Amino acid sequence: MPDFSLTEEQSSLREMARKFARSEMLPHAAECDRTARFPEEIYRKAWELGLMNLNVPTEFGGSGLSALDICLIVEELAYGCAGMTTSIIANCLALEPILLGGTPEQQHRFLDPFCASYQLASFCLTEPAGGSDAGAITTRAIRHGSGYQITGEKCFITNAPHASLYTVFATVDPKLQHRGITAFVVPRSAAGVQPGKDEEKMGHRASSTSTVRFEEVEVPEADRLGAEGEGFALAMRTLDQTRTPIGALATGIAQAALDHAGSYALKRRTFGKPIAEHQAIQIKLADMATKVHASRLLTWAAAARIDRGEAATLDSSIAKTYASEAAFQVADDAIQIHGGYGYMKEYPVEKLLRDAKLTQIYEGSNEIQRIVIARELLKQYA
Amino acid sequence: MQILVFVKPVPEAETRLRPTADGRRLDTDGVKFVLSGYDESAVEQALLLKEALPGTQVRAVTFGTSPRSEEVLRSALALGCDAATWVEAPTGSEPELRETVRALAAASRKFPAELYLLGQQSLDTEAGMVPTALAAALGLPGTNGAVNLRFDGSRQLLCFDRERGGEIESWEFPVPGVIGLKQAANDPRAAKLQNILKSRKLPIDRIPASELPAAVADAGTVRPALFTLPPARTGAKLIEYTSPEDAAHKLVRILREEAKVFP
Repeated sequence: MPDFSLTEEQSSLREMARKFARSEMLPHAAECDRTARFPEEIYRKAWELGLMNLNVPTEFGGSGLSALDICLIVEELAYGCAGMTTSIIANCLALEPILLGGTPEQQHRFLDPFCASYQLASFCLTEPAGGSDAGAITTRAIRHGSGYQITGEKCFITNAPHASLYTVFATVDPKLQHRGITAFVVPRSAAGVQPGKDEEKMGHRASSTSTVRFEEVEVPEADRLGAEGEGFALAMRTLDQTRTPIGALATGIAQAALDHAGSYALKRRTFGKPIAEHQAIQIKLADMATKVHASRLLTWAAAARIDRGEAATLDSSIAKTYASEAAFQVADDAIQIHGGYGYMKEYPVEKLLRDAKLTQIYEGSNEIQRIVIARELLKQYA
Repeated sequence: MQILVFVKPVPEAETRLRPTADGRRLDTDGVKFVLSGYDESAVEQALLLKEALPGTQVRAVTFGTSPRSEEVLRSALALGCDAATWVEAPTGSEPELRETVRALAAASRKFPAELYLLGQQSLDTEAGMVPTALAAALGLPGTNGAVNLRFDGSRQLLCFDRERGGEIESWEFPVPGVIGLKQAANDPRAAKLQNILKSRKLPIDRIPASELPAAVADAGTVRPALFTLPPARTGAKLIEYTSPEDAAHKLVRILREEAKVFP
């Protein structure tokens, strides 16, 4: 990796994802964005080809890919449609707590049947009154008989209306704050699990997002991940793994914006020449390309660190923050280069800006990322 | 049943090919090669027959240079072919028809099969001669432009369709034989992620160029003499107009008086 070259396997994975994104996702992206349709047939195809449970080891029926492999794939998918990509990779996020915190028995019991067919899972951490402040979780897990009873509401949960499995973070005692948070695996079929209606979103409209209400849901102790109070650390370790692919997702949006802007600039003429020959446009394109390149390299560097088994909190936060802000700026510039046409829904670039916005917010807002970056940074000077 | 399916790497569809400076060949530097579309249908058809008749073995064969030959064979393996053979071509010039047929016939004799499948033509030269020429070289029955190859109810006989002038003809086909495919019964499948990774580790058998039978003394070969680009298109003319009717009138006038498309 230090020489930044990809192996033949990695090149072929990237090629495969590129083909899928451009032939299966991209042709439906505008329609799904306009109508907020959840294109289940595309997600099913992604599962059939092995593009869905990317981080789950092959022994449980997943694809067993490294962090870098996952980033290569996610960037290509996001080039096709960021919203669809969010729904395709939501399983990676939802299943990661089982991979990190589950016993081998739990891993087989939950993952083997789950990965054997097309199924979706949702990661249920965020609540109406708090997203990034995960320590303030109010969903309760009360000891009940030999297990627990979970009651509370989660919100902004990706794929929730379509999921068959939820990883849920609840507190066994709110007074303990983050030390009370505990993780559970809850099937959709459990009595009292109520996903809400699809939210109407600014972007990522091919993805589905809703609340999930848990009403005295009985959960056996065997379905708890780790010990009581270990849930907060588990959620943070999960996000350490899944934050980097968000950098890749943002890079895919940015690359798409750059490609649209570049080819438009060569076609569109003003004052007797293509606008690409005006220096004002060239400078914009150069800055956009620089940001896309930097986003990709930061993402690869964070992923490579994860694959080496090293602590990657700092690198992954830097990659996610930089790439998501770059994607927003590059999409903004792409609209500017398209002029009035860029503002029209008939052209693909305004969607990219709306899609890019979410990458600055989800999987830990960029404000939280900066807290993390500063904390990791200052450790080095202490 | 043993099936040999011949595959050819061709430049990716969006590639802008240019002649080399001396005009003797096309510059393939940095060009990405992919499995030719009709050959993709041949692979799909072979895999469908394999699914219909358990125990069937499908071997992909290509003739050409490295690395595009290995790449196209890896694609075939990832799609589900059981084995792959690369017949090495001498570097320097693109093989012409008889060299290709000689090489594919050599592979066919090394790996005898009941069925030899390939695309009806390649997507680069679109000559469409290899299926017939290969059948002749092997002394086998051959056909081209087949659609929807399948076993009949008894599973003893192969059938296929051919589209002719809006009608569909159904044919029976004796094995062994050579069939050039226009289209499989389904759209070609995409390779699964795990199979792509596995295909990277599968062996590729190699028949070196030195093992190919020597060229027969004959009247010589047909080779392209010079590659040139078509003349650049001249600038488009924008019609200024006030209404769609006005635009149509002006367009008709230009077509008649300037372009002289019609009197």
